[in-house]
Amino acid sequence: MDKKVVVDAAVVDQTKLDPVTFEVLRSIFEYASDRMSTVLQRASFSPILADMVDFSNAIYDYDCQLLSQAANCPIHLAAMKFSAEAIIRRYGLPNIFEGDVLCVNDPYQGGTHINDMTFMSPIFFEGELLGFAVSRGHWMDLGGGAAGGQAFAGTHIAGEGLRLPPVKVYERGVVRQEIVDILMNNTRTPHFVKGDLQAHVGCLRAAILEMQRAAAKYGVVTLKAAMKQLQEYTERIVRKSISEIPDGVYEGEDYADTDGFSDKPIQIKVKLIVEGSGITVDFSGTDSVVKGAINSPYANTASASLYSLQFFLAPHAPQNQGMFNPITLVIPENSWLNAKWPAPTIGCTTLTSAKITSAIWQALAKAIPERVTGSTSADCNWFVSSVVATNGATDVFSDLPAGGWGATPFSDGMNVTEDPLGNCMNMPAETAELLFPIAYEAFELRQDSGGPGRYRGGLGAIFKVRYLAEGALSMETARTLEGSPGVAGGQHSDVQRQIKIHTDGHREVIGGLDAEGNWKNPLLCAHPFSHGETFMFESTGGGGYGRPWERDPQAVLEDVLDEYVSVTAARERYGVVIDAAAMRIDESATRALRQQLAA
Amino acid sequence: MWRVGIDVGGTFTDLYAWNDETREQVTSKVLTTRPDRAPGVVNAIREAGIAFNQISHLMHGTTTATNALIERDYPDPAMVTTEGFRDTIEIGRQHREQLYDPYQVKPRPIIKRRYRYTVNERTDAQGAVVRPLQREEALAIAEKIRAHNIKSVAVAFINAYRNGQHERDMRDIIKEVNPDAFVVISSETRPVFREHGRFTTTAIRAATIPVMEVYFARLEAALKGEGFAGSLMILKSSGGITGVDYAKQHPEELIESGPAGGVAYAAYLSQLCDYPNIIHTDVGGTSFDVSIVENGKGLITRDHEIEWEIPCIVPMLDIHSVGAGGGSIGWIDEGGSLRAGPRSAGSKPGPVCYGLGGAEPTITDANLLLGRIEPTLGGKMTLDRDAAEASMARLAAGIGLSTIETADGMIRIGCENMAQAVKKVLVSRGRDPRDFILASFGGAGTMHACFVAESMNIPRVIMPIHAGVASAFGATAMDLRHDLEAFYFSPVATADLAAVNALYAQLEAEGIRLLAEDGVPRERIEVRRTAQMRYVGQTYEVETPIPAHVLTAADIPAIEALFHQCHEREYGVSSDDFAPALVSLGVTVTGKMESPPAVEVGVQGGDPVKGERQIWFNQAWHASKVYNGHALAPAATVAGPCIVEYEHACAVLPPNAVATVDRFGNLVIDISKNLVSNV
Repeated sequence: MDKKVVVDAAVVDQTKLDPVTFEVLRSIFEYASDRMSTVLQRASFSPILADMVDFSNAIYDYDCQLLSQAANCPIHLAAMKFSAEAIIRRYGLPNIFEGDVLCVNDPYQGGTHINDMTFMSPIFFEGELLGFAVSRGHWMDLGGGAAGGQAFAGTHIAGEGLRLPPVKVYERGVVRQEIVDILMNNTRTPHFVKGDLQAHVGCLRAAILEMQRAAAKYGVVTLKAAMKQLQEYTERIVRKSISEIPDGVYEGEDYADTDGFSDKPIQIKVKLIVEGSGITVDFSGTDSVVKGAINSPYANTASASLYSLQFFLAPHAPQNQGMFNPITLVIPENSWLNAKWPAPTIGCTTLTSAKITSAIWQALAKAIPERVTGSTSADCNWFVSSVVATNGATDVFSDLPAGGWGATPFSDGMNVTEDPLGNCMNMPAETAELLFPIAYEAFELRQDSGGPGRYRGGLGAIFKVRYLAEGALSMETARTLEGSPGVAGGQHSDVQRQIKIHTDGHREVIGGLDAEGNWKNPLLCAHPFSHGETFMFESTGGGGYGRPWERDPQAVLEDVLDEYVSVTAARERYGVVIDAAAMRIDESATRALRQQLAA
Repeated sequence: MWRVGIDVGGTFTDLYAWNDETREQVTSKVLTTRPDRAPGVVNAIREAGIAFNQISHLMHGTTTATNALIERDYPDPAMVTTEGFRDTIEIGRQHREQLYDPYQVKPRPIIKRRYRYTVNERTDAQGAVVRPLQREEALAIAEKIRAHNIKSVAVAFINAYRNGQHERDMRDIIKEVNPDAFVVISSETRPVFREHGRFTTTAIRAATIPVMEVYFARLEAALKGEGFAGSLMILKSSGGITGVDYAKQHPEELIESGPAGGVAYAAYLSQLCDYPNIIHTDVGGTSFDVSIVENGKGLITRDHEIEWEIPCIVPMLDIHSVGAGGGSIGWIDEGGSLRAGPRSAGSKPGPVCYGLGGAEPTITDANLLLGRIEPTLGGKMTLDRDAAEASMARLAAGIGLSTIETADGMIRIGCENMAQAVKKVLVSRGRDPRDFILASFGGAGTMHACFVAESMNIPRVIMPIHAGVASAFGATAMDLRHDLEAFYFSPVATADLAAVNALYAQLEAEGIRLLAEDGVPRERIEVRRTAQMRYVGQTYEVETPIPAHVLTAADIPAIEALFHQCHEREYGVSSDDFAPALVSLGVTVTGKMESPPAVEVGVQGGDPVKGERQIWFNQAWHASKVYNGHALAPAATVAGPCIVEYEHACAVLPPNAVATVDRFGNLVIDISKNLVSNV
């Protein structure tokens, strides 16, 4: 036990940890960030944190390098570091004290979209800075031109809500009421502010306590050395994994259907340049900054790129700075993936990041075809709606009905699972109905929505919510022109679609393609709903893997029995002829049809 | 008459029994029989030499329901839900277990989609009917169920926690057409809000009812055939017991029926030896189980998941398991770090030293090399030390440590994994480890308990005298128990106290009725009230104790204060800026049973010192005494480094640890000299 505080970096560098102490500290770091998430989820007030888990928590070392992160939203992962750095730049380390809680949400200072609030506290032990606890949560509403800041009709960041530069919310353990007042004054949901703030503070305290315990037991020098060595450890794993990918340049692309203004898709082009144990991700050729609110600031694009690669590089390695070191980013200055003031950004974490992932995965499919999966539904389908009850009470609710995941080289894709960018949970119907004047009418699997293949893409969902009040709904989504691409001969999934069901039962497509092939802008901005009208959303599935007519006919029959796939789709897409009355495969008709399809 | 506790495990069926007239105690251990486990139970009783007609109570813990669920080994059940919610039990909460694994798959739903039907009925969140249940539609589904010859059905409708009328009507219609089917409904299974947990728990119940019906019927027949005429009682996940008839109807309450016995033993020790707070740990071949006893009672969770997104929301002992046991394999990961587990060599091929084909070094092999295991396992088998050493040397070469350092490292890492599991249940619920004593059950448990305790800064470890048959012993120490719940959603300040009092009275009456069915007279019934509470606007509840009398406005400040305290303890924060709210009301009724006798051990005979061995601790070999635990007299003291061997278990004391035998024969180990003081 070294009681003496040591700040000499050289001593830390020279401290060699035995493998056992290393392993022990690694699990303590991991536990500390997990503990943060337990507290934030359980103690927070707004449903988007407590029910939907749209938050991430992490611990950074004394150099502000990621040390560990709790498994919640990958899109927050790398971006939080930029926020923490912005805070330190603003105040300077000597002016950050024990008991401080600092906050920032500025998209151009390490943020992503305005609703992601980042809180940070320094972790001190006996006067020595060990690192920082950082907690990022999506706040339900911080003002702006539409509920939840989803002002897709706007073209300026000022329309998306309160943009906070780095500020201290607590100084040396004392709350700065004027900052809390500013937050309370700039939201449609002031009733969440104090409770969510308390939850973030509790979560930061939990991390501080765990790290201080570890410092007391193992000593500051050992702890700091373990932080660095853990990052090197992860970096070794990632570099080893990269070096197994053949060197070369691999290209991929995907697009957003619209920015809300354009009538042509907005392109992402990506080149993965694999050289030895490093990868350069180059977005040259990507479209320029756009008018609508899907622009992505640098931190968001960086986050999306890094987590997308993580799936195929080192999915089980400890999550820390070592993941990022082997990766170089080239994001052209004027592109929509490197947004500067005053470009609006509200759709960046959800819509844009999902498209970045899809583009990167399609590039990877060329490098490691035997390992890459069909594309996921590649959208978060996040919506926010105001509701004004008959008594005039206004509230804001939100949900994010997921689509399916792509089929893998070994199995069908997961049904209705949050996109890789996050790991949010849906809103339980019974919670929503207790809190808001709405009725959930459906959240169920959508037949035939998975991309056909030897392995089938996971299914999307049918989601319905009925208004029992006046409402205005905003939503980002894409994949409304074509579904999720398959790989290795696998096929596209179905398209997504937003529908209003009028009180007389008439179904009006309000976003995406209708039956006549007319397409409407799916970036809804404060779309009005009256009492009794229903918002319906059809999410898409994942892309298929391999040729559908090579799928085991028995597996197709099982899918038909479970109504994942219709009898018609079994015949037309998979070439499996099923006698619907007996629920049996017609073997000879199937053989003939499959020969025809394969030809 | 005899009171018999039986725990049927994967390998052994354990028995502990005591006679309530003679105070005599017996134990036995026989092989578990498969697939029918009933003959093993009969064998254990025979082995113990107890006459079947002399048994008044037989308390039984079983993992049958859990095994059936995990293997989906049950006849296909059907499910009927509100239209739009057919897939609630399959979609879950739409999140994934592994953040970055693109190949992951989700567990299969408990009930196949092809047998999940919907009806166009609807009740709103206030319990008012929006769309009535149509008899024709319901009848058509009942006919489909008959056509598929399905014998077990779950009915779960949205907002039925508020008003279960439609579910009851649906049940009646299904029964009309299928009189011999089991039909269970969500509003009677667990009337709490949030559909995913309630629907899934109801599905679990429907899936396991036929399995448990068959199992218990066989067991009853087998026992009856031997002359048994006493009461057969079953261990519940909540840490109480119930009559077999209730257990048949509520298999969803038996998920932790196996491990619950061990926790009951910990609770018994807590009272007997006056340790209010105990951490119960049990190390087996493949897993490490941990749970907490606080103020003499097991800590309860309502968030248990059988698998990813398959929650069973009945109140259940909070038992956390991790893959760390004697069979855990040592390996070097892709980043060059030494790891232990979670992969296990299990019982086949087992540790390298068993010579059954195992090639990778396990925790047991490491213990052998460190001198902590007797190389003949007390004459039961000869362990192959050379093979263990060779395998460990191969591992050591990969990380540049010596063989013995690698073995020691594996143990430390394995113990740290166990300590993290303890932390998960302890610290994550706001408890301070230093307020606890660590109790170690299972044969391998006490080989590691001191190191786990050290890592957690826990100063004392206890190894109970019946550690070898812990769950069977615990079964005889349990009380009858039922947990009942009713939804009541309101801020505390504006709650309708007349309604609250009426609900509590109704729950209590039901609880007392259930205990009366098991023959418990009113005067032996203890009633405890709780409420699930949260701040207005929060989503998660914290259980708060509620005074057990007719509530008046004068009680409100005390209830609010108690809630703030509970919230602070669970999550580290609380504030009277926010108004507390009630979400549901709970009543726990317990029927006091007689506890096993506390037998004080006399002065034991024989030489307690069996010999001496070299054991590796703290980077060096230490000459260490080996004691026969059964020969140690009360108040005897032994000092580490040493080994204390028992018939079914063995304790390893590191240097500076000091153990004392208490008057009941339990070994109490003090490791405070090895702890960091200022944490």
